[in-house]
Amino acid sequence: MSSYIFKRMAMTIITLFLIAILVFFLMHAIPGGPFTAQRELPPEVEAALNEKYNLDQSLPRQLISYLGGLLKGDLGPSFKYPGMRVNDFIREGFPVSAKLGLITIIFVLAASIPMGIVAALKNGKWQDVLSMIIATIGVTIPSFVIATLLMYVFSLKLGWLPAFGFDKPSGYILPVIALGGYSMSFLARLMRSSLLEVMGQDYIRTARAKGLTEFNIVVHHALRNALIPVVTVLGPTIAALLTGSFVIEKIFALPGMGKHFVTSITNRDYTTILGITIFYATFLVVMVFLVDMFYVLIDPRIKYE
Amino acid sequence: MTRILSLMSILLFTTAMVFAGGAGDNSEMEQGGDVEQKLIFALQNEPDGLDPGITNNSFASPVLLNSFEGLVVYDENNSIAGGSAESWTISDDGLTYTFTLRNNLKWSDGSPLTASDFVYSYMRVLDPALGAQYSEMLTDYIVGAAEYYGGSEDMNSVGIKALDDQTLEIILMKPTAYYIGILGMWVYSPVNEATVTANGDKWTLSAESFISNGPFKMEEISFGEGYELVKNENYWNAANVKLEKLNFRFIPDPSTALVALEKGDIDGQWEVPSADLPSLKANSDALQIIPSYGTTYYEINCAKAPYDNPKVRLALSMALDRTSLIENVLQSTDQPAFSLIAPGYSVDGMAYDEGRSDFGLSPMADVEGARAMLAEAGYPNGEGFPTLELSYYTNETVKNIVEAMQQMWQENLGIKVNVSTEEWAVYYENIQALNYDVGAMGWGADYMHPMTFFPLRLSDNGMNNSGYANSEYDSLIEKAQSETDPVNAMKLMREADDVLMADMPLIPLYYRSSPKMIAPYVKGWYITPLNNMYLSGAYIEK
Repeated sequence: MSSYIFKRMAMTIITLFLIAILVFFLMHAIPGGPFTAQRELPPEVEAALNEKYNLDQSLPRQLISYLGGLLKGDLGPSFKYPGMRVNDFIREGFPVSAKLGLITIIFVLAASIPMGIVAALKNGKWQDVLSMIIATIGVTIPSFVIATLLMYVFSLKLGWLPAFGFDKPSGYILPVIALGGYSMSFLARLMRSSLLEVMGQDYIRTARAKGLTEFNIVVHHALRNALIPVVTVLGPTIAALLTGSFVIEKIFALPGMGKHFVTSITNRDYTTILGITIFYATFLVVMVFLVDMFYVLIDPRIKYE
Repeated sequence: MTRILSLMSILLFTTAMVFAGGAGDNSEMEQGGDVEQKLIFALQNEPDGLDPGITNNSFASPVLLNSFEGLVVYDENNSIAGGSAESWTISDDGLTYTFTLRNNLKWSDGSPLTASDFVYSYMRVLDPALGAQYSEMLTDYIVGAAEYYGGSEDMNSVGIKALDDQTLEIILMKPTAYYIGILGMWVYSPVNEATVTANGDKWTLSAESFISNGPFKMEEISFGEGYELVKNENYWNAANVKLEKLNFRFIPDPSTALVALEKGDIDGQWEVPSADLPSLKANSDALQIIPSYGTTYYEINCAKAPYDNPKVRLALSMALDRTSLIENVLQSTDQPAFSLIAPGYSVDGMAYDEGRSDFGLSPMADVEGARAMLAEAGYPNGEGFPTLELSYYTNETVKNIVEAMQQMWQENLGIKVNVSTEEWAVYYENIQALNYDVGAMGWGADYMHPMTFFPLRLSDNGMNNSGYANSEYDSLIEKAQSETDPVNAMKLMREADDVLMADMPLIPLYYRSSPKMIAPYVKGWYITPLNNMYLSGAYIEK
């Protein structure tokens, strides 16, 4: 097991370095630079800026000095925001995105798994139909439409909830629903179909034949197996929710990370693009790794050698 | 009105909630009324920095102009008035400006602000290592500044001197009648040497080290979220500053800000969603249309056939129905433009654009005239005319305009028009490389003088991306720039305008106006045509 973990860690680090290198060359390949603006900078200023940020050096040299900083955990200075470092963007933005994401995950899990279970156990009955109608709406309508509708109804028309910001705790309600709507619906559907499949297995019939109660069968025998596909998608889902959604953050004016990621690309803020990509990538890889570890807990058939 | 009342109660409730969440903050009440003097204003974009010496980012303008004050400011009539300087004299040769600062000027931390602070701040802009984006606003005018910027290290030859604590002298290279307007730009704001030295490039990143000298000072900086400013008791005119608190909140989606405004959570917003403009025009008492000193025009590649023929350019310009573009496509309040230079400047009560020619253009399309002009250029009914590539930078509003223009040209001139788009950074590189036929562009003035526009077509100017060069025009502008008599300068500029637009080296589309939302209970604010908002006199009256 420990050698497996070690191997995975080594792979992770290599993956991240490859991502860093790939993104580095990709972003330098797109035209324009961080100092392209209509109010063109005097050549002397541009030269001074390029020197300040090492942009006057050759690409491989820039890459090496960047990777050197990366090893020390330094993601470099922002080109667009004097005095700010990319680490600052992450330190300021990530807690906001993560807090929203965490609440969303709790909401998603608390809503989707019971919904899926009820729908599966009451297969074909009204509970199933209702759950699946909600889930279908959640999967098919994009989050920004849901966000706009929620805002129109609950902020503008009813005036119950704020339209922007986290100044009040109630400010979380609309973003959480809008952000989690898709994942909730997706997971509910997955939970339903997975549980339905498991409930048709031979060993469930055996359990029934042994005279176990239906509750016992579902909780002890069916759910553990039915949860495996759910856990598989949970890793990337959690990573995506925690690192924030640009669209939801934009609509509700939340100071999270998503904005920096998108604006840094239009701004050609090279270090920010790289830094946030690497941060996202690390997060994703770690979440996938944790999910793999979690398999061992729920499925006795899985062992890592 | 009832709607407003209910909105106000929500606002009061909200602010109460905000304070309840703060660290025992208590809301101060203004004498004379029991309305809290607090303004929450939504900005769409976070500025890329708040160092007035460095940034030229227009998103920073509402914050910088209300927290810093240079020697002069624009007043509500859009004229230059004393800011930190109480008065000034200009020598007869138009070269030496002597400013007398107000008595007992102080920084927001209470330390004295003297003429040498201004010298420090301006010399700082002239240090290339700072990366000041507006450094040209000094190097183009002040004697010795360009040399110093270039590395001469000869500080004494730079025409910026503190004669004593209260007297500042600026010497120009050549007489420049509009220089006083340039002094109103925030790059000429003073910055506090102590905090800059102590905190380096991080001095604008936290409220403690953010020392300013304007009507408001920084109370809190929440990155990505907004700025909280409070009245600066050390401001020379603090007695007349009525707002106690001024919050700028970043709300990137203007539609969200609109909901918040209608709900009463905010009092104003900088950007108005264009799709909502028609209904707001009909129903909202918060919509403010500010005429703005800027022109939206289309670059036309004068170095490439067939656009090197002025008749082709004129034909293209004539074939556009500007009124329809403004009223039906933009649904805005902009004005049809026939020249690069927007109206708004005046000398002794005479407007710059008084009696100006229409250069053969009209508010509606002149289809027959345009066809005739194109035939004269050798393309009767558009025959033989190569496909026109109409490019623009990715933007929803611009897309609508471009598509309407495409249709107008195809129908009115019988030519084929291809539309293409790229995001700004890529687009602008193509424009600079003259790798285009016709492309979307525009110019918002830096200072309130036509000279902010003219350099865009000077043959040696870096922002002239049209390939146009006309020595007659160049020399008229050179003369106008050094003409000290404003009336004569205006005559020269009008001549240059005539010379320029006779060649039609751009397609003027409309003179801009800028819609803002400001709740009707907010009084005493003003926004100049430079899109500068001054809130020193603003107050809430409910």
